[in-house]
Amino acid sequence: MELRLAGLHHGYGNIEVLRGIDLDIPAGRIVCIVGPSGCGKSTLLRLIGGLERPERGEVVQTGAPPPGCLNPLTYIFQDFALLPWRTVEGNVRLVLEDHGFGRAETAGIVDDVLARTRLSEFRAAFPRQLSGGMKQRVAVARALAVSPAFLLMDEPLSALDAQTRELLLDDLVDLWTRERFSGVYVTHNLREAVRLGHRVVLLSRRPGTVREILEIDLPLDARAGHAPELEAHRSRLWQLLRDEAHAADVELVDG
Amino acid sequence: MPLMWNWSMAERSDRGRPVAFRGGGFSPRPLGVVGPLVFIAVLAFWEAGCRTGLIPPLVLPAPSEALAALAHLVETGLLWKHLGASLQRLLVGWTLGTLLGIAVGFSIGLFSLARAGLAPVVAAIFPIPKIALLPLFVVWFGIGEGSKVATILFGTFFPTVVATYGGVDNVDRNLIRMGQSFGLSWLSIVRKIILPGALPAILPGFRISAAIAIVLLVAAEMIGAEFGVGAYILLAGSLMALDELLAGVAILSVMGLTVNWLIARLERFLLRWRT
Amino acid sequence: MLTTRFAATVRRSALALLAGATVLAGTAVAADDKIKVGALRFTSHSASFIAFEKGYFKEAGLDVEFVYFQAAAPMAVAIASGDIDYGVTAITGGLINLADKDAIKIIGGALHEEEGIDGSAILVSDAAFKDGVTSPAKLAGRSFGITQTGSSFHYMASRIAEREGIAMSEIKLKPLQKVGAIIGALKSGQIDAWAIVPHIAKALARGGAVHIIGWVNDYAPDYQVTTVFTSAENAANKRDLTERFLAAFSRGAADFNAALVDKTAGEDAAEATVRLIHKYVYTSRPYEKAAPSIRNGAMRLNEGARLNLSSVQAQLDWFKAEGLVKGEIGIDKLVDGSYVETY
Repeated sequence: MELRLAGLHHGYGNIEVLRGIDLDIPAGRIVCIVGPSGCGKSTLLRLIGGLERPERGEVVQTGAPPPGCLNPLTYIFQDFALLPWRTVEGNVRLVLEDHGFGRAETAGIVDDVLARTRLSEFRAAFPRQLSGGMKQRVAVARALAVSPAFLLMDEPLSALDAQTRELLLDDLVDLWTRERFSGVYVTHNLREAVRLGHRVVLLSRRPGTVREILEIDLPLDARAGHAPELEAHRSRLWQLLRDEAHAADVELVDG
Repeated sequence: MPLMWNWSMAERSDRGRPVAFRGGGFSPRPLGVVGPLVFIAVLAFWEAGCRTGLIPPLVLPAPSEALAALAHLVETGLLWKHLGASLQRLLVGWTLGTLLGIAVGFSIGLFSLARAGLAPVVAAIFPIPKIALLPLFVVWFGIGEGSKVATILFGTFFPTVVATYGGVDNVDRNLIRMGQSFGLSWLSIVRKIILPGALPAILPGFRISAAIAIVLLVAAEMIGAEFGVGAYILLAGSLMALDELLAGVAILSVMGLTVNWLIARLERFLLRWRT
Repeated sequence: MLTTRFAATVRRSALALLAGATVLAGTAVAADDKIKVGALRFTSHSASFIAFEKGYFKEAGLDVEFVYFQAAAPMAVAIASGDIDYGVTAITGGLINLADKDAIKIIGGALHEEEGIDGSAILVSDAAFKDGVTSPAKLAGRSFGITQTGSSFHYMASRIAEREGIAMSEIKLKPLQKVGAIIGALKSGQIDAWAIVPHIAKALARGGAVHIIGWVNDYAPDYQVTTVFTSAENAANKRDLTERFLAAFSRGAADFNAALVDKTAGEDAAEATVRLIHKYVYTSRPYEKAAPSIRNGAMRLNEGARLNLSSVQAQLDWFKAEGLVKGEIGIDKLVDGSYVETY
């Protein structure tokens, strides 16, 4: 299954946020979307997953989702969006409850995804007892439980401290290496983008348009050893981004 | 310049001075014994005042007299009759008022049409003292249990509505969006995300509505009540039997404390996921 | 000394709050003794109104200011607190309990039931009447409206039950707090029966929604309905003032009886008296509508403020038997019989 964005336009009131976005999102790879603050990255992600309706243009899904997929387009949120009144296990179970599985079947899926995210021993904990990194791992487990065709990640590491971010980034690389999921990863952090993206899409400042598409051919699990090459990509992106970011920074908020 | 001067001072005294502590205060410490102690002291002073004649019996009977009136209620078994009648009215009125209030509060919180139509009506009727409507309730529901239950029901309904839709409004929108993004059904989102998310606002609403219910009990039992704590207090008042009046008020107070304690337990159980 | 002064002040302010009295200004003349008299805007309080309007109080050297109340019970409280000096109202449990605390004393009689004069009537709702409750003997199993437990309505109900041999447990008493609420409940058939002074009873019966099935006088003959009372302090230590008040009050009562009860004073005097009373009673209604009600409500006021002590004793006994007042209070504590003739 693949996604194609065709002529997407969106705005809030008089403010135009996205203008003419055309983009193909292939299966089995991670597309990172970067851009200056307020360029409409998160809006674009909400349009892709159907949480908002574009003013013009469309998001087209080609091909069928893989068999056993319960929720083809599945989000991972910046603020984790865990229900504080449910345990780790309960939060995962929440997304399975509407699918009419039997008790044993549900328990099987929950056990499996908790094991894959190394959360099995924390299944009875409430979110307030977990660190930020653990919470995001619960959110990943919850996303995996519905066997998504696409993971739509909205700055998943931004609410975490630098060390945790590093650990979780490694986790995501491991996860992709094992599962080969398709993903859209929105971030303002260029290091994350070049570390995780097979393709990095740079948006211009508002109204957001596609400024540049960068293909990085290095396999994800091999990137740790190629720091200089990644740094070159990063600094090239930064050159492009800096002027946009500066211009966006001095704009009035409701300009 | 003053900085220099300080330096020279410090040099002259070789061991230096500790920095003066400036924090502290502004954070009340729990002092468990003070509350009961003040309570006992007030009672003792009151009793002494009555015994010595400083407080004449016409103004205030001694606490021991109120206690005797209470003991008399227990001995004759009337206490249980009064309590039973009142608790039944409270329970029925409060339960119905709360259930209806939550239902209407949820509709206002969830449906634009209900919000546009009902919210102004609720805002308009909420501040009316329900005691003023008592004659209307008597016409509508008769002088039996109907009007008594209705008074308590109406009294508890409105604060519950306001607390509930306030709670629904305050549920984290990101959680609702998360539910939608996982394809949860509307009913699942309401049951599993909005209801528990609104509970921290609804439960304190219970405390308020329960207190209002007890306040209204006296008014509700003005009309055609033979038994009930409120009727007992009214009768004591009209007979100028101040010891019985105080005994009745003490019963109401204990009822209020008990209800408060029960709701606190319920909160601790239902909201144990909170810090 | 200090403590009693303090106690009196506390008592005054505390009870003034309880009483919730509204003060209406009277005329002030420097030389006279200023007194405050509690009144309800009922025809039964006419003796005070007549004595005021005809200057009997003034002739007795009293400068009277009326303080109006909505019900009998707060008036007793206001006497106890010293906010008013004299009052006229029914014997209630509250009044007896205040007498027990040495706060007030009954010093004379006012309204009473008398054979041959229409007194309080026993009423039933239309529904109950059609259901066969055509005489007080058939009240068993029926509901009876009262304002509060221990009120005069409660007393009348128990008198009727006693004479008819009905156990009180068979009559369902419904405390409804206010006369207006009882009228509403009776008209709509929510209660079956009630007993009330004649002018209200007759007006209701004319409408057809209720029926008169008997008279209280047959069950409580010579029932002393209202009494004159004052603070224990006044009764004990202000004999001269109290005697002057009772004398002027009695002149008012005599005029009332002559004009409207015995009708010996002639129609002109009756008319003039009704007009005088209308200044105080039914003031919101035009005179033409008020006049019949005032005439209908005319029950005998005791001549010379005589007091039917045996009726008071009977009422006191009943309050004790019902457990509404403490058992030990005696008639001497309730009544100061030194002022008027008792019988």
